[in-house]
Amino acid sequence: MPELTADVVLKKLKIGEKVERADLRGLVLSRALLEGASFRRCDLDGANLEGARLARALFKNASLREAFLAGADLREANLESADLEGANLQGAKLNGANLSRANLEGANLQGADLSGARLTHAQLESAMLGGARLVGAQLAHAGLSETDMTTAKLDDADLTSADLSGATLEEASLARAQLREAQLDGAILTRADLTGADLRRAKLEGARLEGAILTGAHVHGLVGTGEPVSGVRADYLDDSIDASGTSKVTGDGIFALLSGKVIVSSVGPANKRFFGRGDILRNAHLEFDAGASVEIESLFEHCTIALGEATELVVGKGGVLSGCQIMGPGRVTIHGKFVEQESPGIAGATQVVVTAGGSMVGAVEQPAGLTRFGFEPGCVLRVKIQPFKTERHTNSGRPR
Amino acid sequence: MTDPTSDRKTTVEEGTQFKGSLSSKCPVEVKGRIEGDLTAPSLFVSPTGAVHGRVKVGEIRSQGEIAGEFDANIVQLSGTVKDNTIVRAKSLEVKLSSQDGKMQVVFGECSLEIGADPTQAEAVARPPEPPAPKATSVRPPVGPNGA
Repeated sequence: MPELTADVVLKKLKIGEKVERADLRGLVLSRALLEGASFRRCDLDGANLEGARLARALFKNASLREAFLAGADLREANLESADLEGANLQGAKLNGANLSRANLEGANLQGADLSGARLTHAQLESAMLGGARLVGAQLAHAGLSETDMTTAKLDDADLTSADLSGATLEEASLARAQLREAQLDGAILTRADLTGADLRRAKLEGARLEGAILTGAHVHGLVGTGEPVSGVRADYLDDSIDASGTSKVTGDGIFALLSGKVIVSSVGPANKRFFGRGDILRNAHLEFDAGASVEIESLFEHCTIALGEATELVVGKGGVLSGCQIMGPGRVTIHGKFVEQESPGIAGATQVVVTAGGSMVGAVEQPAGLTRFGFEPGCVLRVKIQPFKTERHTNSGRPR
Repeated sequence: MTDPTSDRKTTVEEGTQFKGSLSSKCPVEVKGRIEGDLTAPSLFVSPTGAVHGRVKVGEIRSQGEIAGEFDANIVQLSGTVKDNTIVRAKSLEVKLSSQDGKMQVVFGECSLEIGADPTQAEAVARPPEPPAPKATSVRPPVGPNGA
């Protein structure tokens, strides 16, 4: 039984009294006029507030677990740190509401309007947000894993560093959304609109992108899906560090970049690739055709690099390949640092040179015709040289 | 070779095979074959020479065949490094041969531990390795005749 009846609550509010820290579990206040009311730290678990007019109401630190708030008007309400786990907010109006650090795990927000709402650090895991409006909402660092956001409107929303792993964003609209460093691993983005979205350093491993629109999306440092990508609609992607639009990727490069198979950042002639100082590539798989010339001054972490016949790979003085693997019949020169993750770090190279100041930690598996080695005094080596292994080289230098 | 005041050296001539432990205060030149432990200021292995065993020297220049465990300050390698060989040194030089020319050095299955320990970041990605041998002196490379 609640501490106060609905009539008592309404009377208290009518005369301007606050209802704070009260036990109001299971209270029925559906369609009540409660604008600006204060329910700070109240226990409203299981309360029925369907269609209630709660604009600008204060629910800070209140508990509303399993509460029924469908169709409620909560515009600009303060729900900071409120516990709304399992609450039903279907069709609720939450425009401009403050839900920072609120717990909305498993809540039903289908068709709710959260435009301009503050949801930073909110927990929305497994919440239902299908058809919800989140235009311009602030969702930085929010936990949105496994949420259903099918057809949701998230244009201009700030989802920086949000966890969207396993979320369903099918046909969602994310135009110009901020998704920097967002976790989108395993997310379903089929037919989603990501026009102009900022996806720099976002992680898309295992994500599905069929039919997604990505024209003008900013993708520098993006971790690709790891699978072939097809059906994406994009005139170009922007691979510039500062999202300035100065490094456009077009054609097949779009699919390659999104899949993480090849990350193109090239200057100079077509067969030359240069990865400049300050760039960081993680978990990428790069393939370079025969005869290409590649210079790396960047930090590569956990990348695999497949070299074609006579491809020249130079790790410059500023270049660091950490936890990487180089495969194929190319020529490798290390002025910087190379550290393997999986042995052998270098397999099948026809030539390996480590110059003075360069360092290499890892194994070199020689091809059938052996590797031509060059080591300059002053290099640092922790190298194991291994003989040719037939089974590894049956696929012309492609990683296993 | 290592002592400018003396041109004395220990030579194992071509056709000679030595088995056992050899400790010398003179540079050692091997044109024949040594199997065993060797300690000396320096070791030169000629193209016809072979050294199999555990070697501790200040400097190694090998154009022949080596196998075993080699500790030195300075190592210059060409020729052949056989399977199950470990080379530990402060400095290693292997000259890169021309693309079409003969291999400068043919490496079997071996381990090279050269220079200071890798940086901390490198160490994270790989279990720690034993430290490189401490240098006692560094002398310039000299010819096989010890001059």
